[in-house]
Amino acid sequence: MAMTVRQRTRVSRSIQYGILIAAFLAFVLLADWSKISSAFLNVNAAVNQFPTIITVALKNTVIYTALSFVVGVSGGLLLALMKLSPVGPYRWLATIYIEFFRGVPALLVFIAFGYGIPTAFGIRFDIYVTVMLALGMVAAAYIAETLRAGLQAVPKGQLEAARSLGMPQWRAMVSIVIPQAFKIVLPPLTNEIILLTKDSSLVYVLGMAVSQYELTKLGRDGITQPGAGLTPLVVAGACYLIITIPLGILARRFESRTAKSNR
Amino acid sequence: MTEQMSSAAPNARIHAAGVSIKDLRKSYGSNEVLKGISLEVKPGEVVCLIGPSGSGKSTLLRCVNLLEQPNKGTIHVGGFEATDLDVDIDKMRRKVGMVFQQFNLFPHLDAKRNCTIAQTKVLKRSQEEADKVAQHNLDRVGLGHLSDRFPDQLSGGQQQRVAIARALSMDPELMLFDEPTSALDPETVGDVLSVMRNLAKEGMTMLVVTHEMGFAREVADRVVFMDGGVVVEEGVAEQVISAPTQARTKEFLRRVLDPTHIEIEE
Repeated sequence: MAMTVRQRTRVSRSIQYGILIAAFLAFVLLADWSKISSAFLNVNAAVNQFPTIITVALKNTVIYTALSFVVGVSGGLLLALMKLSPVGPYRWLATIYIEFFRGVPALLVFIAFGYGIPTAFGIRFDIYVTVMLALGMVAAAYIAETLRAGLQAVPKGQLEAARSLGMPQWRAMVSIVIPQAFKIVLPPLTNEIILLTKDSSLVYVLGMAVSQYELTKLGRDGITQPGAGLTPLVVAGACYLIITIPLGILARRFESRTAKSNR
Repeated sequence: MTEQMSSAAPNARIHAAGVSIKDLRKSYGSNEVLKGISLEVKPGEVVCLIGPSGSGKSTLLRCVNLLEQPNKGTIHVGGFEATDLDVDIDKMRRKVGMVFQQFNLFPHLDAKRNCTIAQTKVLKRSQEEADKVAQHNLDRVGLGHLSDRFPDQLSGGQQQRVAIARALSMDPELMLFDEPTSALDPETVGDVLSVMRNLAKEGMTMLVVTHEMGFAREVADRVVFMDGGVVVEEGVAEQVISAPTQARTKEFLRRVLDPTHIEIEE
């Protein structure tokens, strides 16, 4: 009557599978598929998105992301070095910057750059520059913390060895410490790019020409067409996955490679 | 051109520098690690620093190339006064090779690049010339055939020998060794010590923190025994190790030479 541990495991696992299968069947059988597909999977509306969604929107998403990532990494590296600096004011400045830009919503920064700065200073940025600065400055705050952790993870002996060979501090950082730190932070840095890819959608708060549309903006415009339902957003979502999933795979590959050898 | 080449030419004669330390003091907070150390190392001389852990010998060594900043006293290395606040640290360190207990090879560079990076970036040698010097020094430590290996593809003893080649590639006038064999598997210790022995024969000035009494007795010109941040006893290697005069030295040597507490033969 008393079951062995193994029997009990098997029974409980069968029950769990049974519940999952029942829930799936219930969904498939009971859902109103015509309604669902007209809301999310309208073939005509999906086809209408092409080729603009690739030639304009996907392209712009990639450009916005890449530009802000460049600003994010260079700004982040500068901030990380400032945070590790023996000079007090550098550390304080970096801390204030990081706390501020990590703490306020990226959307507010976009609005500030899109509307506030032009009004206050009379400078009007191109939309690409606006995204690059707004998103890049937010990204820099996050990336700074990632890079700081990476720089600190490089053993102290590396810097000592480099300095002992007569390298000045900056040279030791550039040739010895930073290359090793980047290898350590590649996986979390890939994560940052994925987050940036998605955050580039925030550009929708700025007025822009059709040629500057990125995925989310184009998708939102698409759903206003009669009968399209939410299909354009589904297509836009799929396009994000086209960018982010390969990045994720890349990150895992880096991770396993750095795990194998610490080169 | 020819002059530049000759300065880095293989088998160039070692231009050895001396070290002069006077009344050196170093504290971490309220903990005084060096309590007034004076020490002379003549050009071409090999001096071994021995003593229990925590006696300050590694700190003393690290003060010589300013990895630690001394609080008081003076250090002269070659033509430099290390303790002068205006000294060009980087220029001075080029003359002083350092070998660490944990090797500290650059893991992202292969053995040869480990030996060339400071040559090209600091001494501004051409890559070609730096490669030649690196290869010569890797040959010198018996690892010329492994120049394209990365540190994690080398054994501890091999890594330490690459680290020595890396330091030698800068044509130092003084070599500092901070317990170079303490992190090694016993079977690879001999290779590292024999490289150091050859270096001593070539006339390099060497200051070595070590627990290898056999090496100290055989290679060192003088042995300095430190304990509690002071020099307790110093003298000719053979004499300090075989016939120490101070009680603390005797006690230390008895433990190191004979951990099983059997009487040592005189």
